[in-house]
Amino acid sequence: MEFNLQVSLHAPVAILVTLVNKLIDFLNLATKSANQVSMPRRRCPSVADVVRPQNFRSSSSIPNELEHLNLSSIFPALRTTEGMAANLQTTFEPPSSASSASSISDSSDLGDVGQNEFFYGCHELPASPPQSPRPQSRTSIKSPRTARKRTTSVNLSHKKTSAESVLRSHKRTIYTAGRPPWYNSDGDYVRPFIIGICGGSASGKTTVATKIIEELDIHWVTLLSMDSFYKVLNEEQHKKSALNEYNFDHPDAFDFDLLLQTLQRLKDGKNVNVPVYNFVTHTRESKTKTMYGANVIIFEGILGFYNKEVLKMLDLKIFVDTDADVRLARRLQRDIVARGRDLDGVLKQYCTMVKPAFTHYIAPAMVHADIIVPRGGENEVAIALIVQHVHTQLQLRGFKVREQLALAYNGQPLPTSLFQLPETPQIKGLHTFIRNKDTPRDEFIFYSKRLIRLVIEYALSLLPFEERTIETPQGQIYEGKRCASDKICGVSILRAGETMEQAVRDVCKDIRIGKILIQTNRESGEPELFYLRLPKDIKDYKVILMDATVATGAAAMMAIRVLLDHDVPEENILVVSLLMAESGVHTIAYAFPQVRIVTSAIDPEINEKFYVLPGIGNFGDRYFGTEPTDSS
Amino acid sequence: MGSTEDFRNATKTAAIKCDPEEFGPNFKVLPSNDQVKELQTILRDKTTTRSDFKFYADRLIRLVVEESLNQLPFSPCSVVTPTGAVYEGLQYKRGNVGVSIVRSGEAMEQGLRDCCRSIRIGKILVESDAETHQAKVVYARFPEDIAARRVLLMYPIMSSGNTVIKAVQILKDHGVPEDSIILSNLFSTPFAVRAITSAFPKMIILTSELHQIAPNHFGQKYFGTD
Repeated sequence: MEFNLQVSLHAPVAILVTLVNKLIDFLNLATKSANQVSMPRRRCPSVADVVRPQNFRSSSSIPNELEHLNLSSIFPALRTTEGMAANLQTTFEPPSSASSASSISDSSDLGDVGQNEFFYGCHELPASPPQSPRPQSRTSIKSPRTARKRTTSVNLSHKKTSAESVLRSHKRTIYTAGRPPWYNSDGDYVRPFIIGICGGSASGKTTVATKIIEELDIHWVTLLSMDSFYKVLNEEQHKKSALNEYNFDHPDAFDFDLLLQTLQRLKDGKNVNVPVYNFVTHTRESKTKTMYGANVIIFEGILGFYNKEVLKMLDLKIFVDTDADVRLARRLQRDIVARGRDLDGVLKQYCTMVKPAFTHYIAPAMVHADIIVPRGGENEVAIALIVQHVHTQLQLRGFKVREQLALAYNGQPLPTSLFQLPETPQIKGLHTFIRNKDTPRDEFIFYSKRLIRLVIEYALSLLPFEERTIETPQGQIYEGKRCASDKICGVSILRAGETMEQAVRDVCKDIRIGKILIQTNRESGEPELFYLRLPKDIKDYKVILMDATVATGAAAMMAIRVLLDHDVPEENILVVSLLMAESGVHTIAYAFPQVRIVTSAIDPEINEKFYVLPGIGNFGDRYFGTEPTDSS
Repeated sequence: MGSTEDFRNATKTAAIKCDPEEFGPNFKVLPSNDQVKELQTILRDKTTTRSDFKFYADRLIRLVVEESLNQLPFSPCSVVTPTGAVYEGLQYKRGNVGVSIVRSGEAMEQGLRDCCRSIRIGKILVESDAETHQAKVVYARFPEDIAARRVLLMYPIMSSGNTVIKAVQILKDHGVPEDSIILSNLFSTPFAVRAITSAFPKMIILTSELHQIAPNHFGQKYFGTD
């Protein structure tokens, strides 16, 4: 925002004037040389239209000097048409209050072609001599290039290259969180569908990706951008890049090894740490972004089809083919308006690097594409077709879990990985308290806490122990035992699992606790993963996975799957709960035979709402006091 | 802590293992597992810090108290769950009281309170005579109707059993039947158990470990007076 304001205060006039002039020259050249289909002829916009892009209007306080600026002196091309010039000035006089914030943040979304529309007609303006007596000095002084550099990375980081939890479109908000099962009912990992999107710079790859996500209507999509895999620049290269001489469009600029590795892990459903590339320092930031494999992974980048290994991994290859002029126009707008670079530099980069790279590396990659999407994100027919195809593919892979789980394994002997607490009178008595629907909440909490403590103590006894000989204060030797692993961590499945956290803390000093939020989708009845916070090096830990009740086992299975995806060995996982349904036990034991299951009671049935019978009811609601009021 | 010549002799033969079976059905040992063993190891280790000692002592106490409560009588009862189904559970009888033997027995009070929020707690102070080493009750305070209640007597360490014998004696003097007393204990020696079971055969004794040598530093370390 700061940056936007600066632009609108000082630079817009100069920049825009320069831009228009240069563009006229350049487009004339480009259209000739590029051998492209000529631009659609559009109505030549009035000068007012030309000069009225949002960033002009954006400032509510254009300084006086700017207001009284004799525009015609710096805009000779327009001097001839005085009416237009007057028109131009009127746009300044009452400075519109359109907020700069909204306009610029929109413009960072490259897909919005409408904004760029004013470029289209430019070459139809009366051709003007490029060497206008424009105040060059003014441009360079007033454009605080150094100050802008800092904001560059801010702008970039807002680009939708990485998986964000929320994706907003003009129609609705899509949560890219809430991950449905990515394994089948045997707990086996089902391979995700990987879509590769390739296309020239500023061709609208991100827009196509976003549109696909939007239309797919599934809740968990991972969006991986090639931008994250730029190589780290050394000092010399850094200097070159400052002079716009470093070739960011050449395959050598990318770290394909890391990209391959990342993509492979995502494909295997593991979590990855995607580097965050800083476009100012041209290094990787120390912080990385954690992503998870999803049912659908979208990978986009200008050289997305360059590497053969990457190409092999893609299930669907889309090439976004946008007219070269449109791409240049967008690029100019993005680099100058959004990233604060100067026109000369951008054009130089385009001519010497971006365009050759497109001709040599990107355009030939079109032969690998399954689908070529002309016009990018606005091509709704193409996107509808792609979405339909992806839907069919997902259905073929069988992502429908909960119902299958509830029906399987009736009447089989209980598995050996199950560890049920000895059913003592105390445990039975505690169950009597917490199962009774008339138990007041304070008693419910008190007695469930007691029961939880017993279950946790029991679970800890299943960890590996080793013999240890110690000396007592009485001076005698004692053959004892100590836990073989001091790396134990708890992971609770929100919300009911959280009730067990305190007990774990009470028995293990300073234990680390991770959380997983899994909710049931009301429409599909499927569990969905929404939130995840785990200790960093969880793979080295023995994990006590806590959920108060396990009915079908769908949520527990999803949580186990998450842990496995974080490289936790299966045998290091203990699922701990107060009450389990028989079918849930079977499901978990069958899918993950090495996961040990600890519970204080097993109930035989599950009702149609997937509650255990006789059960406890909704444990979380009763514990936290959020049960619906109409229940008697 | 009472100590006699017999007791000293007994500890010399610490290597001899003894069979819990020999003390009859009323003597119970907390079902042991690696976890319990670890707790015992930490409590016996002389390098354990005080904060760790208290932390792990409280954990072991909690387990012993929970197990002691299992010895209380109960009756079957069925309840309706929120799902509308019937659960066949059981219900504990009311009318229990905890009695701790000052001072180390008081370490177990919190564990009992954590399980039974409003249980009444009585106290007995037993001190051994400096000259004769004979244990003697100095102070006792109980709820009035203690004779009608089941008593959970708490004392963590028993080496000779003298203290407990005196305490049970005073309970009996207050009219508590021998079979209404449950003794909760963490560590005891076979010597002490033998002495107590022969004196009060009907009393239920629960301990977590039967070992020739008891960790006699328990009270000092738990309360920090060592």
